[in-house]
Amino acid sequence: MRALLRRLGVYILAAWVALTVSFLLPRVVPGNPVAGAVARATQSGNCNSACIMAVEEQLGFNVHTSLWDQYVQYWGNLRHGNLGRSWSENAPVSSLIVSYLPWTLGLLVVATVVSFVAGTAIGVLIAWRRGSWVDWVLPAATFFAAIPYFFLALVLVLIFGQTGTLLKWFPSLFGYDIYGVTPGLNVPYVASIIAHAILPAATVVLASTAGFILAMRNQMITTIDEDFVLVAQAKGLPTRRVVWYAARNALLPVVANFTVAISLVVAGQILVEIVFNYPGIGFHLYDALSKLDYSLVQGIFVVITLVVLAANLLADVAYVLIDPRARQMA
Amino acid sequence: MTINSTSLAGIPPVAGPNAELVFRRTRILRLPRSPKVIAGVVILAFFGVLAIVGRWIAPYSPNATDEQSWVQHVLVPGTGAGTGFPASYYPLPLPPSAAHWLGTTVFAQDVWSQLLAATQATLFVGLLAAAIATVLSILFGVTAGYLGGGTDEGLSLVANVFLAIPGLPLLIVLADYVPSAGSSVLLVAAIIAVTTWAYSSRTLRAQTLSLRNREFVEAARVSGERPVRIMLVEVLPNLIPIVAASFLFTALAAIGAYVAIAFLGLAGSPSSSPPGLWNWGEMLREGFANNAVRGGWWWWWAPPGICIALLGTGLALLNFGIDEFINPRLRATGLSRRTAKKVGIGLRPKLGMTPVARHQPLVVLPNRSTTASTPSPVHDAAEPALEVRGLSVDYGYGDQAVHAVVDCDLVLRRGQVLGLAGESGSGKTTLALAAIRLLRAPALITAGQVLFYSKPISGDGPVGTVDMLSATDEELRAVRWSEIAVVLQSSLNALNPVITIGAQFDDLLRVHRPFLSPSARRARAGELLDLVGMNADRLRSYPHELSGGMRQRAMIAMAIALEPQVMILDEPTTALDVVTQREILEELTGLRDRIDFATLFITHDLSLLVELADEIAVMYAGRVMERAPAASLFHAPRLPYTHALLHSFPPMHGPRVPMAGLKGSTPDMHDLPGGCAFHPRCSWAMPRCHQEIPKLAPLDGSPREVACWLHRDDAIVPAELALPEPDVMKVRAQ
Repeated sequence: MRALLRRLGVYILAAWVALTVSFLLPRVVPGNPVAGAVARATQSGNCNSACIMAVEEQLGFNVHTSLWDQYVQYWGNLRHGNLGRSWSENAPVSSLIVSYLPWTLGLLVVATVVSFVAGTAIGVLIAWRRGSWVDWVLPAATFFAAIPYFFLALVLVLIFGQTGTLLKWFPSLFGYDIYGVTPGLNVPYVASIIAHAILPAATVVLASTAGFILAMRNQMITTIDEDFVLVAQAKGLPTRRVVWYAARNALLPVVANFTVAISLVVAGQILVEIVFNYPGIGFHLYDALSKLDYSLVQGIFVVITLVVLAANLLADVAYVLIDPRARQMA
Repeated sequence: MTINSTSLAGIPPVAGPNAELVFRRTRILRLPRSPKVIAGVVILAFFGVLAIVGRWIAPYSPNATDEQSWVQHVLVPGTGAGTGFPASYYPLPLPPSAAHWLGTTVFAQDVWSQLLAATQATLFVGLLAAAIATVLSILFGVTAGYLGGGTDEGLSLVANVFLAIPGLPLLIVLADYVPSAGSSVLLVAAIIAVTTWAYSSRTLRAQTLSLRNREFVEAARVSGERPVRIMLVEVLPNLIPIVAASFLFTALAAIGAYVAIAFLGLAGSPSSSPPGLWNWGEMLREGFANNAVRGGWWWWWAPPGICIALLGTGLALLNFGIDEFINPRLRATGLSRRTAKKVGIGLRPKLGMTPVARHQPLVVLPNRSTTASTPSPVHDAAEPALEVRGLSVDYGYGDQAVHAVVDCDLVLRRGQVLGLAGESGSGKTTLALAAIRLLRAPALITAGQVLFYSKPISGDGPVGTVDMLSATDEELRAVRWSEIAVVLQSSLNALNPVITIGAQFDDLLRVHRPFLSPSARRARAGELLDLVGMNADRLRSYPHELSGGMRQRAMIAMAIALEPQVMILDEPTTALDVVTQREILEELTGLRDRIDFATLFITHDLSLLVELADEIAVMYAGRVMERAPAASLFHAPRLPYTHALLHSFPPMHGPRVPMAGLKGSTPDMHDLPGGCAFHPRCSWAMPRCHQEIPKLAPLDGSPREVACWLHRDDAIVPAELALPEPDVMKVRAQ
């Protein structure tokens, strides 16, 4: 329990650091961030006077309260769930994020679960049947693990997407058919959601699974060499049980490294959403950046950080559950 | 996504007095020539060359446009009729041609030239960021690991915080807010380094922690060296393999991060002011923002992406190669098709089924005397259960094979204990495990025969003779554990750490006694624990919750669970204290009396065998060198080696004599001396001993056997080796 509380402490501290950095940075960096931001905005659109005023306010320029007071107010706002107001969408940031979040979470949870289960299962298979044809999976997995997420997304769009040029099987833009279907609890809407989620989910799953395959395979090979696996085989246990003995132990370091994996999957998903214009918080982060809607950017950053930290905490709890030795120390 | 899967904690450090010596000995410079490493290095070299010479071989400047030459124009999406914006056009991107190897972009720029420039910048920024990150992680990791205490807590906390914060979002925020991020390479690299250093620092800290307690570091500390110097000169050189591996991994992550933020438009572009660099992410961004995908202008957006993927694959392959180098288990099992066919075994050795070389004739020579047929005072009533004839086991294949066991005979009789003694590396465990084919690759049984005369005590095992070396998987499974059980040396590793003892008993009983109900199985498990002197409550414990002695008892309980006919005990009490050792040996004797199994007791402690065993066999360098009833061996050894072993133990009473011990050291199995392997250390070595290997042969008129030229032909036997047999031959009371 104590170890878990320490992890919780680390996460709370991490959240604090991230939020403070995000608050402080534009305000303490030398030079004029507003001018730089506006200059960048001219690449992708125009920044009118309302936009410039909003940027100045959000970056703390021309604001007449002290840094400390702004900081206190910032935290006060956060505590009330007030993440500011988005000038480009003309709505409170928190309600906007609440509308974006289900899209991202749905995709993320499904993709992570599928890739974890598939990846570890395939990794176990490859490790157990070493020396046969399954060894060919390894270079393929290495390649897929090295491909950046958004490039894989572009390739899939080219081959399978309806905005691509080859097979045109699946829709490749937006979260659902915004022209043909009305949102609500009706079948066409749900079917459209599923159809539009296939390519983004496939991208995330393909790229993430490869990483899990490699990690699990390496761990499994090391574990198979342990004495208890040999003894289990000597005891005459059925092969499935022996593999389970080994896999159950090999899983531990993989789960322990889940922290890093989650960060990578979230990063990948943000980029995938951008490519597919999928209406999750990743895409809207990109959108807000290009529109210089800093309060929305900030709000999304806060939410992403908290989601990832929560996922890490869940992974730590899961680890304690599956490793009895950790329970003793925890 | 790449997860660094290296189990980096297992590198044996190279202790050295100074950094250069350590560096020279560092084996990272002698990486094995595996195809993965070669492929990885080739890919990286290709990109390295491109990065260096790129600018000079580019046919055009990456920014140069040549609008006049390209006539066909295309409407910019979002302009023109019906959109409210005046129609504007840009040049149609041209597919690859002789003039433009990779075609052109929508701004009439040459893609190949852009790619070359982009490669240079991307690699430069990536490597720079990785260098900064590596320096940071060494600083935090090594300092935290070495200094420990409060410094460790503080630094580790910082590292954990940075590890927990999601990388890309933080990177986006940093890159967005720092205004000149786009134009300053150093700034971009620094920002990327901030988000990627934390992972490696954790690994470095772990390795430093284990190095800190090594003798050479302690010695340096005691001799008064300053901590900074110790860290730089003693600790850091040993970390070079990990640092190299994590540098590569971080470089891959840094390049990915750089491409990602460039794709998002945060790293500046050549057309902004101040101008940024051409890089792969920027090319992708331009393509994506200008509808390259929908337009089908694959030559524009595919090359940078393929480059990233290729570079990532190359780095991953190299990382893989380093992984395999550090952890040899990850390497391919080393059995090429040709070797396998030559030796006569299958390509993929199965776990738990040691292969037997098929081309060797498994025939026992007719005039070999087996002690099975020789009656003796000790062996009268006992019939053989397991008989090993002429067993030879190699590790490795072909010319580099090490002959771990050569031509050994053993007979295990019911109700009797055969002790197998010898030094570490003499082949005792190999011999025992080979008899039941439980050795791991690269073990190979090259000759011999193992016969198991089965008469099951309980359960439904096979009846009659089982030829272990030619048995199939099912036959072995029927015999192993239920009729022949093994207790290995280190019992913590022999028990599955994540499930309870009770669950492991249950697994065992469920397979072999399927007719028992779950509660009956639990009851039986409780009985078995009781038999070895443990409380049945312990069924609910995990292996790590038991002490060493109790774990060993649990292993023994599992071994006798099915009432086996043969028990093989491999140094069961070596790792335990003397008191527990005595208790366990008494339990074993009691069990043996009760169940009447044949026992093979392996140990290096001869004194233990003297009171426990009925017969003792002594092994040296893979051969059985002497076999005799226990009392005879102890009181009247015939082999010089046995004599030396016995006189290594100081007697409890008697006059004080200087201890001689055994001179020399254990032979290297790769490079055995010619003739008798013991002759360099033998006090009575003759010229013949240097040339011919003595075979195990019976001494005249006794059940003893010895392999020594001193007892052969007309050699003169030294007085120490000709002591009279003890008067009373102890016969085990039944």
